[in-house]
Formats: sequence, C-alpha cells, structure tokens
Amino acid sequence: MIGNDIVDIQLARQQSNWQRPRYLDKIFTCQEQEYIRQSTLPEQMVWRLWSMKEAAYKLYVQMYPGRFYNPKAFKCSLSQSEVLYGTFKCHVTTKITSNYIISEASMNLAKMSSEVIKFNGVSASEQSKFLKSKLLSDVAKALHCQRNELQFVKQAHGIPTIEYNQKDINVSLSHHGRYGAMAFAY
Amino acid sequence: MNKEELIAKLKPIIAPYIQDEEAFKNLTEDTDFVNDLKINSANLVDIILDIEDAFDIRLENEDMEKMLDVKSAMEIVTQKLKG
Repeated sequence: MIGNDIVDIQLARQQSNWQRPRYLDKIFTCQEQEYIRQSTLPEQMVWRLWSMKEAAYKLYVQMYPGRFYNPKAFKCSLSQSEVLYGTFKCHVTTKITSNYIISEASMNLAKMSSEVIKFNGVSASEQSKFLKSKLLSDVAKALHCQRNELQFVKQAHGIPTIEYNQKDINVSLSHHGRYGAMAFAY
Repeated sequence: MNKEELIAKLKPIIAPYIQDEEAFKNLTEDTDFVNDLKINSANLVDIILDIEDAFDIRLENEDMEKMLDVKSAMEIVTQKLKG
C-alpha cells in the first residue's frame, strides 16, 4: 500500500502563513518544531514535514479506513525517514525541488514511485480529471490490461481505489496548485 | 447562541479558505470542509486558530480530530462555550 502527498511551494506560500501565532504548535511536535527552528530553510522544512504527515495519514487510512484530522499525532523522524502514529509506523521518502515537495509513505523501505505532473493553467477540476485518467492508463499499462477493464472508485471515507477483476488496486493521488502526483501498488 | 447565529458567526471565519463558491453559498450543517468547500488541509489549522480567536476558546488535538465539517465545528464550539 502507498500514500503520497505533494505541496506546491509557491501556492503554500500564498495559502498559509506558518509564522502566525500558534500555527506550528497546532500541527508539529516539539521535535518537529526543533527541526524547523534549526533549519536554514525553515519554510521548506515546514512543508517537508507536512507532506510526510499527509502521506503517512493517507497510507494509514487505506489500512484502517476512517477519516480524521490530527496532523500533530503523526510524528516525523527525519533521521529514520519514518512517521509514527501511535503504534503504527511507516517509511516515508521525500523529494524536494525548488517548485514542489513530494512525500511517499509505504510499509517497506522503497524507492519513490510517484509520478509528478505539472499542470498548465486549467481549472482544478480539469486537473483532477486528467490525473485520474493518467493513473488509469498507467495502471492498465502495468497490468497489461485494457483501460476499460479498470474502474476508479471512491470507497467509504473518500479513499480512492482502482477495481480490476474484482480486486482492489491501492492508489494514491495528490493535487496542489500546479502539481499533481499519483502512485499505485499492486 | 442558537444554531443560526452560530452558523452566521462561522461563515465569515471559513470564507477566506474556501475554494468552491457554490458549495459555500449553499452551506449547511452537513457541509464538509474538504469534500464540499475544497479547503486545503493545511488551512484547516487556520480555521481552527480563527475559531479560537473569534470565540475566545482553545481547542485540543482531540477536538481537532473531528473538525472536518460544519456540524462538528458547531458541536465543538458549543461544548467549549459551555465550559
């Protein structure tokens, strides 16, 4: 199983003021706030940790379906490249560019498999459609099947899956600003 | 504060972060912050901080867990205001 999350750095800068009072303390543990304080690029660290938490949350709810908002409880360890939530622990790999940050969470240590897409000025709903359609083509290619044999479905709690041959293929989609990312595990 | 008054007080707090105008116009107790209003998950924190300031309350992590729709926000605020 897999969970991913992408942050468009430019958009994050417009959407969020992480320096507002109490903001960091609501989302980040003491250790994470320390990472941010000590970083030479604090803004990048904020979104790096955030994307790790989001990717881990997405993986967690695939394994234990549900929906909740508790980013602080997902604790990042940069030295171990892990995120912990209670007794749950997963590996997270992160890629940072000057435009975006992407994290991918999995139970086993793995190389980043998410594909990143850059959108050009179409509406957010068009972008989501495009991302889904691209994911379906990629999964069809990987499984050596026809695209119409696959069906994109949202399960309970809005968790996305692709159905094929009465089996569920675990997928993860993320979309923020000019960037989209998709991954699947089979 | 009755339900209508509470919704009226919450609406301008939520407004700066919404990304679906239509869903916001039709906002009810059942409106979901993420699925309906398309609010970015990093902005849910801003809504929580703005609610804390507007109502002069403090929300704990357990309160935040459920803060995914208007109804839950109303319940949590009501509960906190009772002390």
